[in-house]
Amino acid sequence: MTDAGSGPIRPAAMREAPAVLLLLGFLPSVVVAVRVVDALWMAAGVLLVSIGSAVARSLLDWSSGSPGASTVGQTARWLRALVVSSLLTAAFEAALLAVAPAASAALGIYAPLVAVNLLAVGTDAASPRPLRAALGALHKGAWYAAGLVVVAFAREVLGAGTITLFPAGGFGGTIVVSALLDQPVRALGLAGGGLLCMGYLAAAVRAVSARKTGRST
Amino acid sequence: MSSARMAWLASLGLLPAAAWGLLLFGPPAAAVLVVSIAAAAACELAVTLPRHGYTLSDGSAFFTGALVALMMPPAVPLYVPAVASAFGILVVKQTFGGLGRNWMNPAMGGVVFSFLSWPGLMSRWAAPLGSAAAGAEVPPLEALRAALAASGPRDVTPLGVLGRAGYPFSPMDASAVGWVNSHVLAPLGAALPQGSFDILVGHVAGSIGATCVPLVVAGAALLLARGVIRWHLPVFYLGTFALLSLVFGGLGTGQGWFAGGPGFHLLSGNLVLAAFFAAPDPVTSPLTDTGRLALGIILGVLTFLLRFFGSLADGAAAAILLGNCISPLLDRWLERRKSRVMEREAA
Amino acid sequence: MTDTTKLPKGGVNPPTELPGPRDHAIVNAALPNRAIIPMLQHVGRPAICTVKRGDTVSEGMLIGRADGPQSANVHASVPGVVAAITEIMLASGERCEAVHIDLGGSFQTSGKPRTARPWKSLGAPELLERIRAAGVVGLGGGAFPTHLKLARTPGTCTLLAANGLDCEPSLGADDALLREKAPEIVEGIHICQALLSPGRTVLAVSECSADLVPELERVIRDAGVPAQVVVLPARYPQGHEQLVVAALEGRPPRRDPSSVAVNVATLHAMFEAVVLGRPLIDRVLTVTGTTVARPHNLKARLGTRVGDLLEECGMDPARTAKVVLGGPMRGVTVDSLDLPVTKATLGIVAFSRDEAKAPRETACIRCGSCIEVCPWDLNPTRLYKLIRMGDDSQAAVEGLGRCTECGCCSYACPSRIPLSAVLGDGRRRASALGNGGGRNV
Repeated sequence: MTDAGSGPIRPAAMREAPAVLLLLGFLPSVVVAVRVVDALWMAAGVLLVSIGSAVARSLLDWSSGSPGASTVGQTARWLRALVVSSLLTAAFEAALLAVAPAASAALGIYAPLVAVNLLAVGTDAASPRPLRAALGALHKGAWYAAGLVVVAFAREVLGAGTITLFPAGGFGGTIVVSALLDQPVRALGLAGGGLLCMGYLAAAVRAVSARKTGRST
Repeated sequence: MSSARMAWLASLGLLPAAAWGLLLFGPPAAAVLVVSIAAAAACELAVTLPRHGYTLSDGSAFFTGALVALMMPPAVPLYVPAVASAFGILVVKQTFGGLGRNWMNPAMGGVVFSFLSWPGLMSRWAAPLGSAAAGAEVPPLEALRAALAASGPRDVTPLGVLGRAGYPFSPMDASAVGWVNSHVLAPLGAALPQGSFDILVGHVAGSIGATCVPLVVAGAALLLARGVIRWHLPVFYLGTFALLSLVFGGLGTGQGWFAGGPGFHLLSGNLVLAAFFAAPDPVTSPLTDTGRLALGIILGVLTFLLRFFGSLADGAAAAILLGNCISPLLDRWLERRKSRVMEREAA
Repeated sequence: MTDTTKLPKGGVNPPTELPGPRDHAIVNAALPNRAIIPMLQHVGRPAICTVKRGDTVSEGMLIGRADGPQSANVHASVPGVVAAITEIMLASGERCEAVHIDLGGSFQTSGKPRTARPWKSLGAPELLERIRAAGVVGLGGGAFPTHLKLARTPGTCTLLAANGLDCEPSLGADDALLREKAPEIVEGIHICQALLSPGRTVLAVSECSADLVPELERVIRDAGVPAQVVVLPARYPQGHEQLVVAALEGRPPRRDPSSVAVNVATLHAMFEAVVLGRPLIDRVLTVTGTTVARPHNLKARLGTRVGDLLEECGMDPARTAKVVLGGPMRGVTVDSLDLPVTKATLGIVAFSRDEAKAPRETACIRCGSCIEVCPWDLNPTRLYKLIRMGDDSQAAVEGLGRCTECGCCSYACPSRIPLSAVLGDGRRRASALGNGGGRNV
């Protein structure tokens, strides 16, 4: 998988438990990215938690005195990242429940999987400078968000005939694509359809980046 | 015998079944056939023309379009077969590398995609021409499900169930079955249930090309005779299915052992069409006869499970997709066995 | 006693539209005015030329001395004067020296009866020396020096198979030899038995020659040679020596050091060498093709120009688009008809424009036909894909070394993929040998 789509999967994480991680990483995208608004909330969660944990980890590294060096062993580093992102995910979940209970209900048990997505997004040593760490996490998180929203958009428009956004003012939140509302392509709303959209997105990104570097795919 | 000729012969083999479907369901069926083939051809050209030139002459896009059409219900809105063919050609075939590189049967992929996307539309059946009775537009398989769900008499054959539920068989059926019963079977003490003639000849509702099983088999006989397909897969597929449905088919509906009505089930739904024209597609089926045999058995089991214990009325297309995933595994096992033999010999 | 056994697996039956000259007796071809005799007509090192320009040579005189043990002698096939010694390129692409002899002078030995020399009291070394001196090599296309093939410890050979099957469809030289030279061939078998002391001796013939069986059995009986005649089906490539042995032993084919198969033409050459003292200076080959008006089994002097033989058989140059040396399945296309007939030339086949048209190659549809017809139980489509992806070593692990380029897979492929050629290339690259299975030129 490349940088967009369901989340970049780092080789280190893959070595640990590739199948399980892949599965848990795919699940949120496949299940959640069916409505645009759900994808947006999910992406918001990933962004917030990843920025937060990147900053936290860089501060921790800074305070332990040796940025990037292995005074903390690999396993400990991994555990530390896990704890940090879990804490932040729990915080995000609670906040979501308070701010947008409907969204919280829609995301359901997939909100905590934000944490797993983060493990996938990257546990390598964050930059020692908190600001740089935050920007790095923002960059990765933004790509993740973009991919998720694109997939959700395609699946919702074609698979349900609607585009669900945040209600604002007089706008109820749902744009209807009348041509498709009657008999949408429901297969795209299913898990298989989700994987299909993700696959094409990944292929498109790969083709574009290959063309940029001049290689053939 | 080139690959192109094999594909065109396969389309020719569909002709008897297609002709019967057009006869039975009229202009709507013709429209479905035309649109499906046109969509397949257009998609194929759109992808291959810029790079490989004109590939329609290899006959495979035409065949995909035709097979998709024959598995569609006759009254389906035309965008359904169009999208199904497009999905089959663009996503299943061309995305993965074009002819010879697809890992899934393009026509079955398109058909199952339609089932999942538009379940309601895929049940837009039509009554066969000449049958004005109410309920005649429901295919026997679906009607059987409904009847068994409603009241389910416990000791009767599927056709018997349909008869008791008032399924409208044709008058020709009544006279034909009556004649056979009185002149041939009465001395033997047996009797064919009403409806036997109808489902044998295919004068019932159903998919455009799948109603008349004898014509499907006749077309397939051409393919077998010319060596386009091998007999191992279809025979073991249908045989396994028949055996399983005979022995276990009646269990789910409380009819007991050995009461599954294999005759009825073989003659209903898309099973035979799929078994002869979709499953033995050379690209997605195993390379060796042993592999084909094994896959046939697996497909028989899968179709049996899907049809009798699943939610789809006719599980053939979905079973074939599962079988497509298993084919390479069968090839791999056979390769490993062969290389073990070679290593032993070299030693 | 006869019985029919079959090819364990695979093989194809190409339509024999090509006129097969099985009914045609062997005809002596016209003598060449200029014979071009290459120093390399066998598997091994080229012979060393022992004559120079201007020398007068007699018929059957040694003109090339074997270079070491893995080599063979070369003799002048016609009397005359050495006009030139040049480097030529053989149809296989290899280059070697060739002696050009302009015909002239009298024939010392042809047309005169030869006296038979006794040989039964000779030991193995003397027999092998007579064979070696005469430059006898495998005449079934393998061109392996016969004195090397038959030099074995007695008792190590369990089966001696005299291979009377023409290895390619439409070639009929072996069948013709069986018809006309059976006693000589049987005596050749006898010589092999003296050298090898095989456990079992079989003369294998094709179904097409089945009418010969009673006569062959009579000759064998009269000669007192312990041998059995077995009829094998005419399916291609049953004539390949590994498949002959496999059919006779009822097992799958493989390289088998304990059995020896010798072509009947080679046996005839051995007879001439050991008994008549005649070196190998001519061979029987089949000239045929749809554009050839009079296909024949010709007995041609080595060094005869291929084009001359085709002319003799009435080839129509206007309709001929392609000429192949060897047989239609494994032969090599030549671009010049000036090439000479060598010890390894089995036949000359001419193809018309329609026949020679290369079909359009399309994608592999995984039909499995190639697997079905491969007599060596390989998986050609998989090996082809491995080679195309550059993985020659994995292909070698999966059995590529057994491929003999018989061409059955290419023949059977509906997508017209040149499987056999690609597999052969891959095999040569993987084994880094020059020419794995003999030569056809």
